[in-house]
Amino acid sequence: MEALEMYTVDDRSDVYTEELKLNLGPQHPSTHGVLRVELSMDGEIITASRCDIGYLHRCAEKIGENVTYLQYTPYTDRMDYLASMNNNLAWSLTVEKLLGVEAPERAQWLRMICAELNRIASHLIAFGTYGIDIGANTPFFYAFRERESIMALLERPSGARMLYNYIQPGGLRRDVDENWVTDVLAFCDDFEKRWAEYNTLLSNNRIFIGRTANIGVIPQDVVYACGATGPVMRGSGIKWDLRRDVPYLKPYEEVDFDVPVGEGTHGTLGDCWDRYWVRMREMMESIRIIRQGCAALPGGEVMEKVMKKMYKTPLTPEAGEAYMRCENPRGELGFYVVAEGGTSPIRCRARAPSFCNLSLLDSLLPGTMIADAVAIIGSLDIVLGEVDR
Amino acid sequence: MNEQQLHDKLRATGLGGIGELESSARDPFVVVEASVLLEVMAFLRDDSETAMEMLHNVTAVQRETGFDVVYHLCSYSRHHSLTLKVIVAQPEGEAGDWEPAVPSVASVYPSANWHEREQWDLLGVRFNDHPDFRRIILPEEWIGHPLRKDYVYPSTFGEIPLELDAIPLYERDENDPPKPSEPRPAGTPLTQPPSEYSTRPDAGGRAPAPEKKGES
Repeated sequence: MEALEMYTVDDRSDVYTEELKLNLGPQHPSTHGVLRVELSMDGEIITASRCDIGYLHRCAEKIGENVTYLQYTPYTDRMDYLASMNNNLAWSLTVEKLLGVEAPERAQWLRMICAELNRIASHLIAFGTYGIDIGANTPFFYAFRERESIMALLERPSGARMLYNYIQPGGLRRDVDENWVTDVLAFCDDFEKRWAEYNTLLSNNRIFIGRTANIGVIPQDVVYACGATGPVMRGSGIKWDLRRDVPYLKPYEEVDFDVPVGEGTHGTLGDCWDRYWVRMREMMESIRIIRQGCAALPGGEVMEKVMKKMYKTPLTPEAGEAYMRCENPRGELGFYVVAEGGTSPIRCRARAPSFCNLSLLDSLLPGTMIADAVAIIGSLDIVLGEVDR
Repeated sequence: MNEQQLHDKLRATGLGGIGELESSARDPFVVVEASVLLEVMAFLRDDSETAMEMLHNVTAVQRETGFDVVYHLCSYSRHHSLTLKVIVAQPEGEAGDWEPAVPSVASVYPSANWHEREQWDLLGVRFNDHPDFRRIILPEEWIGHPLRKDYVYPSTFGEIPLELDAIPLYERDENDPPKPSEPRPAGTPLTQPPSEYSTRPDAGGRAPAPEKKGES
């Protein structure tokens, strides 16, 4: 007891705390890539945060000005590398808008099926890695098992597992094989059972809810002000989905699906759990879309005849400009292309959803605990390849 | 509302400096003077009929005569969108490193903050009265703006060489070019048989480990 009393301080005037600068990343597993966040800490509470991006910058927009329209398609794969199909689709639709052509009907339906399959694969990564961020390792392996089946399915027509370069301006590179649709439907049946397992495993887990409910609440006005889209927007209760509200593919007008939004089930509307739950339900909506797409898949060509002729020389759209928005797994991807009559555009801007969603972070982190920072970054579901481009 | 109705609505405000609706390009757009940009943006956001809640995208385009700064506005409650453009002509006699300047709209739409920083970083367009005007993707010390048409890729960044040939991967002797490898005779296995892994140096295998001194 004597020894303890020796260290007891009565006079606390010389006990002080000082602001601590903490670097989160760039090499940190929970930053989902190479994101650096400079945090000012007061004990365990964040007082200020500053994002530092650009570690993965490849100047994709400059490349776009130096290659032809068709050659740029593989570069769009590498922006959001977890949802390459959707990026291909957005780019193809932009070029088609510039050229004034439209893909044949079969290609449109196949595009929708492929894009939705890729959306499930992308949300599976979001689900799996979010579990790891919170401290649950098991869901990750479950998620990768199902993702593997999707990659195998998409590999069959495209020949690649992740960076597909399958959807091209004017249609698709080649048709799917005859058993593909049957296998996709078999996957859908399988996935529905697995999805129920995920919810027992993570969604309704008490610790997980404790870590995510009431954390990182994004009010609706902040969503609009910061330009957040996709599941981040819907998690805050805004019922908006480009697929439903501004259908960019004809099949989206014909299929029946819901737009899940956050409801504040376990706490405040717009918290991390709401965003997570929106993604989970979107997977099931994608399954619904795929089922209807497979049932209604028409026959015919997958590449426009006019385009086949056009491809003999590099595509040369007339002078003009087009802005096209598409609903990607992470939000609205927009391509803004300015053509001046040459074989490559003079400006090729990509409005990346992750970039805009990440700009929320600096206003979201101050006042939260350091352990919640990881949960908040994970709930935004960013891909740094797309943020830095 | 379609673009024509939005344009009529904008004209009815009485603000000067609002151009015609250009629909010759694929996507129609309205050219706006930089002096009224903030008023136009604030009107489009606050009016209950236009209700442009989100500034979706900010882009700058370099043309031969100057720069276009393009704003894509979207309404989520009214399901319409409008493209605004500010055209900054390059004054005569200005050099290639001339920096155009437009007012920042970050005070009306906070989402413009990062977009404007990116356009400054990559294209060198100044946004006056921006709350946090820094580069965003490239390092602060970077010189030049890479998306400019006349940009020359630098040979060094500080003391770091950037050219591909600056660091030789291997020394190559010009007099002794590498020979193509001999074709493998049919039937020989790709991997070497285990007998090659002899400890005797004269057998062509690995030399035995030297004995450690001072340890026993």
